Amino acid sequence: MARNVAETARKFLLLGQCVPTVKQNAAKIRVKRLELDENLLMYFRKDEFYYCHDPQKICKTGDIVLIQSLPQKLTKLITHEVKEVVYPFGDITDPITGKKVAKEQYREDMDRQAQIYGKLDSAFNYDKAPPRGWQDGKKDFTSKPTYTKFHVFDENDPYAI
Amino acid sequence: MLRQLAWTIVQTRGIKHKINVKWVRPEYMPAYTPEKSGDLEGLPPIPETALGRDYALSEEIKDAPESVKKIFSVGHLGRKEYNLLVKEELMNRVRRHEYDFSTAETKIALMTGQIRYLQDNMDKFPRNAKMKQLVQERIDKRKKLLKFLRQYDYKKFEWLLEKLNIEYKGHPESFHKLSRKESLRRLTEMHCEDIRNNKLADYRNLLESQQGPFLKEKLESLKFIRSEQMELKLPITVTEQDIKKVEQQLEEWTKKDQVKQQAKKKKRSSILEVD
Repeated sequence: MARNVAETARKFLLLGQCVPTVKQNAAKIRVKRLELDENLLMYFRKDEFYYCHDPQKICKTGDIVLIQSLPQKLTKLITHEVKEVVYPFGDITDPITGKKVAKEQYREDMDRQAQIYGKLDSAFNYDKAPPRGWQDGKKDFTSKPTYTKFHVFDENDPYAI
Repeated sequence: MLRQLAWTIVQTRGIKHKINVKWVRPEYMPAYTPEKSGDLEGLPPIPETALGRDYALSEEIKDAPESVKKIFSVGHLGRKEYNLLVKEELMNRVRRHEYDFSTAETKIALMTGQIRYLQDNMDKFPRNAKMKQLVQERIDKRKKLLKFLRQYDYKKFEWLLEKLNIEYKGHPESFHKLSRKESLRRLTEMHCEDIRNNKLADYRNLLESQQGPFLKEKLESLKFIRSEQMELKLPITVTEQDIKKVEQQLEEWTKKDQVKQQAKKKKRSSILEVD
């Protein structure tokens, strides 16, 4: 009985968010849960972190992904694998209409507005924009965690603040 | 008495210094500096002879004499007018349309302009406390806006970083004052890690250097076994595929070994040159 429960639990998919990590061959996924405090009879947020096998590097920092536990542990740390990216970070689609959204507006509405006012060349063009990640490590330092600078090294680390 | 003697002979304090770790405290950097705020670019190149923002719209100024133009230039009108041009320049880089003043990208561009001329002023008057506070507020607010933009429109966020020449770094897990103890601990950890990695690499090299002779021996013995079995008409257990496999392995090893030896030679020669 207990073994069956454990096995079915292993087949469960977990929904979590990818967070910055220094590990190169694995993704760090944060799964948010609620935990009941029996004294106060209140739920409090409790985060769990899983290191997931991701050889193709399908998930990037901030993505909401589905993860599942591996049949065997890959290493001492890596216990799960990334199944699927459900919501890519910063690229939101409205589930009802299927149109792309930026904050509270549809992207096409924004474009239409700009065209009515007279669109300029300096405006951002979604069609010509390269996929996410072309500034990673150049001007966008969010894929690894930043830390307080503690020593003067020969090579300057951009992630040290 | 004895304890005192022991203290003087065996210095426990010295143990710390045996580890070859030297710590250099990072120099203090005010938070408003471009290195901290992430501005990779200074003020845009606007000449002192450029006309003020509103005066440039006038029809009369176009064919006015030089002296009149000089009066209405930013060099003469003052810093305020110059700053208006700085903001205008940065906003024009990302504008959607002519009347665009309040979208996220123009807001960030406007703030970037403000930050850059305030930073420039802070260099001249570093004791101006009010201005220091103002720059800090602007920088924090811009970072917040960038954070939100990253959440709802990543492509635009990256494009904006490129256009305005800003660096964006995430917040660290904790903001705390740097201490000597923590820094030394981390440096010692790194030192230990280095030692461990070097030892592992050495051991790996040793094992790999033994691979070649072993493979040669294996190849010879396999061939010998096969020939013996053929001669004595026994069932043959060593196939030709096995022998080919070993030959391939040996070839790969010799290639790798050659590369290694060349790298070693280069290292040696470079060391000799330095001496």
